[in-house]
Amino acid sequence: MSASRQLTPIYDEVFTERGERRPHAEQLIAELERLGSERLVAAGQLRDALFMRQGITFDLTTTDGAVADRPFPLDLVPRIIPAHEWNEIKRGLAQRIRALNHFVADVYHEREIVKAGIVPWTLIASRSHFARAAHGIRPPGGIYTHIAGCDLVRDGDGTWKVLEDNVRTPSGISYMLENRIAMTRLIPSLFAYYRVRPVDEYPALLLASLKSVAPGPEGEATVVVWTPGPANSAYFEHAFLARQMGVELVEASDLVVRDDVCYMRTTNGLARVSAIYRRLDDAFIDPLEFRPDSLLGVPGLIRAYRAGTVAIANAIGTGVADDKAIYYYVPEMIRFYLGETPLLENVVTYLLDDPEHLEIALSRIDELVFKPTGESGGRGVVIGPHTDESRLASLATAVRADPSQWIAQELVQLSTVPTVQTDGTLASRHVDLRPFAIFGEQIRIVPGGLTRVALDEGTMVVNSSRGGGSKDTWVLADDDDSAPPEPQAPMPFAPPALPDLRLGSWTGQAQQQQQQRRFERDS
Amino acid sequence: MLARIAHELFWLGRNVSRAEHTARLIDGVFQADVQAYHEDPSGVTLSWDAVLAIMGSTAVAHARSSRDETVALLSTDDTNVNSVVASVARAREGARTVRDVISAEMWEAINGFQLGLGEAAIGVTGYAGPYSFVSYVKTRSALFWGVAARTMLRDEAYAFLDAGGRFEGADMVLRMLRVALPAPEESTDHQGFSLRDGQALALLQAVGGLQAYRRASASAPSAAAVASFLLFTQSYPDSVTASIAAVRDALLLADASPRSSDPVLRLSRLLADLGFRAGTAAVGSGLLDVCETIGSELALVDGDISDRYFGGVAPAERLMTA
Repeated sequence: MSASRQLTPIYDEVFTERGERRPHAEQLIAELERLGSERLVAAGQLRDALFMRQGITFDLTTTDGAVADRPFPLDLVPRIIPAHEWNEIKRGLAQRIRALNHFVADVYHEREIVKAGIVPWTLIASRSHFARAAHGIRPPGGIYTHIAGCDLVRDGDGTWKVLEDNVRTPSGISYMLENRIAMTRLIPSLFAYYRVRPVDEYPALLLASLKSVAPGPEGEATVVVWTPGPANSAYFEHAFLARQMGVELVEASDLVVRDDVCYMRTTNGLARVSAIYRRLDDAFIDPLEFRPDSLLGVPGLIRAYRAGTVAIANAIGTGVADDKAIYYYVPEMIRFYLGETPLLENVVTYLLDDPEHLEIALSRIDELVFKPTGESGGRGVVIGPHTDESRLASLATAVRADPSQWIAQELVQLSTVPTVQTDGTLASRHVDLRPFAIFGEQIRIVPGGLTRVALDEGTMVVNSSRGGGSKDTWVLADDDDSAPPEPQAPMPFAPPALPDLRLGSWTGQAQQQQQQRRFERDS
Repeated sequence: MLARIAHELFWLGRNVSRAEHTARLIDGVFQADVQAYHEDPSGVTLSWDAVLAIMGSTAVAHARSSRDETVALLSTDDTNVNSVVASVARAREGARTVRDVISAEMWEAINGFQLGLGEAAIGVTGYAGPYSFVSYVKTRSALFWGVAARTMLRDEAYAFLDAGGRFEGADMVLRMLRVALPAPEESTDHQGFSLRDGQALALLQAVGGLQAYRRASASAPSAAAVASFLLFTQSYPDSVTASIAAVRDALLLADASPRSSDPVLRLSRLLADLGFRAGTAAVGSGLLDVCETIGSELALVDGDISDRYFGGVAPAERLMTA
């Protein structure tokens, strides 16, 4: 690392630069100190046992290539987001998602944004997730991006910025919900000082939004979750969402299209399916329209979709909007479609298609982050400062060969939050945030999201497959959050006087009365 | 079989079932309480006050001020006859009396249950909360019932054990509903219910029926929907209707002449009545009345069972309950 970069400030969400606790974190740190490292270690062991037993695990590939099942690494220190910050994030995200939805609709219909000269058509059409098959299809409700998860980071001065958009099949929601449940079981005492907004309504919101876009008579909508199968790394999440919503988890072999209507095979014959929450990419869903070699797909599904008899979430072709080259244009989209100023900024990005940008980026190749545009989940990302020269040289060749498939971004110094170490002490680690939004009749964003944390010192790689962990994310109910909840006046509560529980000893009354008397005397 | 043995088996079933339901209740309420919005008490009431009310008037008289104290009172306090440890201790004593009737594996299951309880209880009121304790109690009672189902001859003895377990289930779920449902006159909206979903969810959590509800019912977990589910759903094993039907079926097996058996007749009438009410649309605000009626009927059944099978054990108790 060069000297200049080390001077770049890093924003800590709990301590100020002078080492003082930020007001909202006061009680949290105090309670953690009361608990002490021994209890944190014990709670960590309980957490691992709990997650292993419940099967909340992920596959970790070790250095010798073996794949091991590890408990999901939930860090025991929650990340707290004060209410006023959350309100800004929420508004910014809703604005962004609305613009992205406009963009997808526009790309497959009028192409106004191309005609206005803002986004070049060649760029759009060359995106790997651009779907010709979706042209002219108007999905039910006009909604494409039903489920969205944007990755947010905070840079040196604490400003929230969008790092990337995920509007295909963002994952992680199950971990967010399981993290909260686990925290109430592992360290319930932390909750005593905060009013944390609940997250457990997510499955109900998702189901309601899927039903709202499902074609067909009101109230009769059959919703299913479509998984590629148990071999998929996110299968836990697919099963989790199906269970939480009380709907069927289907695989391709369960679905069949007859006369442009989608059905599932049940023990009672075929049953109509009106909304599908699919967890696989466009390319695989219909071998007649996309990859003919896909064994995961349902032949004819696009025909049914085009006929409007089935809603698919997210809609076919939305992948074009979370392409990293398109990301560059999102602030422009917000101005163009909504006539608003973007509330959340992008990270400074160089579009390598542009020769000028390309030269700037390549001259600073050891300072910037290079990302392939069509990938997700951190695949193919090269962080300049952390990469050796020979690797950078081959990167430069690859970028020059096909610049439109790459972008470069300024390195963001992710903010830090205290994290429990193996010995129970706390140390600062870098975090990001993925909030989850649902676009049904309106955009709803569940307070919080999945906070991912890099568990090794100094590193900014938060992906769980590469040693990252996660944190429960607490959005506080209001800004009066440093004070513990006021003791409430006893609310009027007059339960019916139920008879005592019987004890049923054979010897009868005498013994029972004796026992009861002892209880009354002792207490 | 001996009336005394039948009585012990019946109460063995009741005590194991009571321990499990109490533990689940603690778990459900604790989780709801940890994340609670205290200023929003509308709808289903499932506070610590409510939990004490569920356990009966004596428990209310000994109400503790804090959450930790209430949790301790109901879980690990062996001086409180209603605590989980007291129920398990009584179950183990009962099992010892009928060691020759139940299978050896059942005895080991219940004996091991009590022996491990002390260790599981560590930290219940500390920073860790009751989760480990509750999960231990659930596992061990499931083990007991599983071993019983797998190893015990289906004779009279099994019938009384089963009847006891299911009777207690009906009684506990009914008690939860009677306390948790908002009284109609306090309600704010036109349907007779004002509710916060989270608390209706806590109620489902407290009986372990959350997943069953999601699969069985399309509607959001509102107080009325949850109450109907827990009262009337025959396909959910811990619903009041399913439990009462199971008690009746067990007694049909145990009784030499069920057609002249008061408890069987009373249970059959009650089931017919429940079936009728489940079918009527006017469930809404009448739910509390239904609960109260079932409650008093169940108390009578309890007395009838004592009279008919256990030689009228403790008639004074019966007066207290009725």
